[in-house]
Amino acid sequence: MTETGSTARPAPRARTKLLTLAALVALVVYAVTRPSAAGVFEPSGPPIALPAAGALTELSADAFEGVLVGLHGKPVIVNVWASWCSPCRTETPLLERTWKAHKNDVVILGVGSKDVPSNLVGFMNEFGVSYPNVFDGSGEIRARLGLRGFPTTYVFGADGRLRTTIVGGLTEQRLAAVLEDLRA
Amino acid sequence: MIDIGLVVSMVIMVTVPAVFVRPWPASAVVAGVLDTTLGALVIGLAVGRFAALAIDDAGSLTNFRDVLIVRSGVEFWPGAVAGLAWLAFRAHRDGVSASVRLAALAPAGLIAWSFFEATCLLRDGCPGPVSAIGIRPDGLVTRMFPVGLGVAVAAAASAFALDRLHRCGLRDAYVVILAIGAVAAIRSVASIWLPHIGSGLTRQHKSSVAVLFASSVAMLVAARISRERTTPAVEVEVE
Repeated sequence: MTETGSTARPAPRARTKLLTLAALVALVVYAVTRPSAAGVFEPSGPPIALPAAGALTELSADAFEGVLVGLHGKPVIVNVWASWCSPCRTETPLLERTWKAHKNDVVILGVGSKDVPSNLVGFMNEFGVSYPNVFDGSGEIRARLGLRGFPTTYVFGADGRLRTTIVGGLTEQRLAAVLEDLRA
Repeated sequence: MIDIGLVVSMVIMVTVPAVFVRPWPASAVVAGVLDTTLGALVIGLAVGRFAALAIDDAGSLTNFRDVLIVRSGVEFWPGAVAGLAWLAFRAHRDGVSASVRLAALAPAGLIAWSFFEATCLLRDGCPGPVSAIGIRPDGLVTRMFPVGLGVAVAAAASAFALDRLHRCGLRDAYVVILAIGAVAAIRSVASIWLPHIGSGLTRQHKSSVAVLFASSVAMLVAARISRERTTPAVEVEVE
């Protein structure tokens, strides 16, 4: 049996479709199999009281861990941010709304890092931030958290263990889903 | 930092309809789906981003870097209106009726949206209400119903139904209005289940309900105009 040229090779349009399909499948496989952002950080040390809400308090990494230990029994959402970070501008109002709506159930703790205190305070005033914030002047806190980029949000369960890490800007849907998960 | 999940979603959203969906009639889209719609996509994204910043954080409008972070939010309906306006302008420039071209592209647009929503799995954008039959988002222990997948199925079904109706003779203007109404209806219903902070309707929910209402009114007006045109004039004979 002789094969003609037209039956041996797929038509150009069919070939384009096949190649496109293969490329899309490869992209999806890459996106699905990329490593999860879950971390291994586990706070330890003597408990320390939560800094005052609405203020920016400079803390060492050990003191920061102490604050988290002191909050055992309540879920904590730690948000690492900076005044120059664009997605931080979008998620800060979301975090503020969350704090106002759920401050009895969940603690929001901001960590201003890789920035100067005056810019951080200016940013907090601009967005009317009323949840507690600490200043990571030495960069030790972000190093201990294993920060990969700004902003990053670390969600700790009531048992004090890190449950999930969200690298990049938060969406309302994602944050609300995290709250649902913490309440479940 | 690049959001890989979002980039892959965008690539799939653009590629699938461009390669796999054939507009009808083909003569309405001479240059191909991708060439015709790419400009609308870019303009829609830009307008949607500016609208989101103008509403949420007007101070960022002067900072080019802040504007470029599309991940921080794009307002859907202003972007959609800008994209449709661009498509209508391009059709006019090509000597094609705007309604003919928009109707020809409507199923492709719905398929694009369907695939964007279906790829919510790649960017942790699926979570809905807590449900035993749902999926477990990355890092969470609770199962949640994947609202995004439901939206994707509804959008794909709407695309198929509109394409059938169009080929069966439904007028172009009706196809366009129905497509916009379908998107508004799907977004309105989905918004009921999307997790959100605090009580009250979200902005997405309110704007989608408003567009659904507007498209319903437009459909009634179009039907009335069409009826008036097709009703024969009554001649009165005077002796």
